Amino acid sequence: MEIGRLREGVRARSKLLLKGPGGDDVLPGEAAEAVFRAASSLRPSVILLGATRNGRETASRLAAKLGWRCASEVSKVTAKAGELAAERSVYAGKVVASVACALPAVATVKTGSYQRSDAEGGTVEEADVGAVDGAVRLLSRKKKEAGGPDLKKARVIVSAGRGVKRKEDLPLLEGLARDMGGALGCSRPLSSDLGWLPEECHIGLTGVTVKPEVYVAVGISGQLQHIAGMKDSKIVVAINTDRSAPIFQASDYGIVGDLYQVVPALRKALAARKGPAPAA
Amino acid sequence: MRIAVCVKHAVDEAELKAGSDGAPVLAGAACKMSTFDKNAVEEALRLKSAHSGEVVAVTAGPADARRTLKEALAMGADRGVIVGTDAPSADTSRTAGLLAAAVRKAGPFDLVICSEGSSDTYSGQVPPMLAEALGVPYVGYARKLQVDGSVARAERLLEDSVEEVEAPVPLVVSVVSEINEPRYPTLIQIMQASKKQVEEYSQDQLGVPTRPASVRVTHMAMQTSNRKRVTVEGSPEEAASRLVQALEREGVL
Ligand SMILES: Cc1cc2nc3c(=O)[nH]c(=O)nc-3n(C[C@H](O)[C@H](O)[C@H](O)COP(=O)(O)OP(=O)(O)OC[C@H]3O[C@@H](n4cnc5c(N)ncnc54)[C@H](O)[C@@H]3O)c2cc1C
Repeated sequence: MEIGRLREGVRARSKLLLKGPGGDDVLPGEAAEAVFRAASSLRPSVILLGATRNGRETASRLAAKLGWRCASEVSKVTAKAGELAAERSVYAGKVVASVACALPAVATVKTGSYQRSDAEGGTVEEADVGAVDGAVRLLSRKKKEAGGPDLKKARVIVSAGRGVKRKEDLPLLEGLARDMGGALGCSRPLSSDLGWLPEECHIGLTGVTVKPEVYVAVGISGQLQHIAGMKDSKIVVAINTDRSAPIFQASDYGIVGDLYQVVPALRKALAARKGPAPAA
Repeated sequence: MRIAVCVKHAVDEAELKAGSDGAPVLAGAACKMSTFDKNAVEEALRLKSAHSGEVVAVTAGPADARRTLKEALAMGADRGVIVGTDAPSADTSRTAGLLAAAVRKAGPFDLVICSEGSSDTYSGQVPPMLAEALGVPYVGYARKLQVDGSVARAERLLEDSVEEVEAPVPLVVSVVSEINEPRYPTLIQIMQASKKQVEEYSQDQLGVPTRPASVRVTHMAMQTSNRKRVTVEGSPEEAASRLVQALEREGVL
């Protein structure tokens, strides 16, 4: 387990390798206990973790063990004058809250809110925290198939929602995504409830956060939890039969219509654009 | 099997409105049972029907939170426990402390089920903190849960992997919404829920001292969106070609 020790300027100067818990198989409870032991002697004023599921769990348990405060899913973190201050998004992304708490504190940092530092170097120290024996036993760990496209890198995303009636209709949207040089994403119900697309295709609060040049929401109502994952897109397009669907409020261009008519028409219009220019 | 299920009376984010200062109006805002808590209640009921026993719904919140308890009772929980508190929801360690004390008093339980995070503030801290406060094992983000005698087995759903784990009872488990489809109570169940027992514990009774809030919210502002909101009119064909032109003008095609 590796821990970047953060100093002024938030750059990992030295890394601390905690020895004791087993390699890749560390569960959050064991990680929390190991870091707790290290923190008890190192006495840092802030411990930051990534706000992944395991990160959130580890941070909460660590804070409970240390008796420190814990801030979740924060960005724009500062720590000065004995206080940690940060921003976080609440009420499904509808509200931005500024939060503060006294140091020392634990916080989980919202994934994607900082540029990844690839600064090499620094020193690596090792600390033996002793064996950590959690009550939870890992029986197996399966990596999910990375079947889906990398939506974070896609320039264009066409996103399918519940307005799509059958799984068999998805190729229509996939085709549109291809025509536009992009990838197919979806709202949560399509992956989590219906299982039509892999979990990593779902965009939103509990899924991936994306910022493509163009985001085309097809048959998506635009609930807050979905908007939270695509609101920073450059241009948002919505196709929906319901004129009053909230997605139109979060879009630059909206077409009120049946996706089964609009998407084929759009594909034709895109093909015509690429085709030979009509003779004058 | 004796199961406690923790539920939160959460601000309904969809109904939240901005005040004249641009901040959300939280005083008197509409509340509902936190969305994924229904999955937690459903899982508790499912386990009860497989093993028999009792399901107790526990909440920490203001008096109005009784409505959320009642919803859990209508779904099928046997009784409810409320710890009256006006502590802000950002004070997760306090909430976990109150819930732990209430669970101890109303227990013992084999299993405490929570949802992975609440639909209002979604910080996901209370369930692991509750396990720490109770001094029992914790399994987070379960999408499958099974109890076999004194051993619980679960599948943890993570971003990039799925883990199968096992832990001894008693324990705290948090569930993700993929675990089940929550039932809707019938009208009769809703009526019967009023007859079920709800016990109120005061903070004094539980002996949980009040402390200054751990994390404070210093400012709130509604997210603003400055989208163009242009409706592209016409038949599907007309709208499609107008949209393509608009995207060309934007320089994104
Ligand atoms: C804590 C929490 C976290 C969540 N996280 C996420 C998340 O990360 N991502 C996410 O997406 N959701 C998330 N959700 C769920 C979210 O609240 C919504 O339920 C979900 O986004 C709705 O998906 P949808 O828009 O596809 O479906 P619906 O809301 O059912 O909308 C379907 C839309 O399709 C339109 N439609 C129907 N037929 C047609 C047609 N023929 N042509 C065109 N339009 C049509 C309808 O008018 C409707 O607007 C979360 C919920 C909670 C409580």
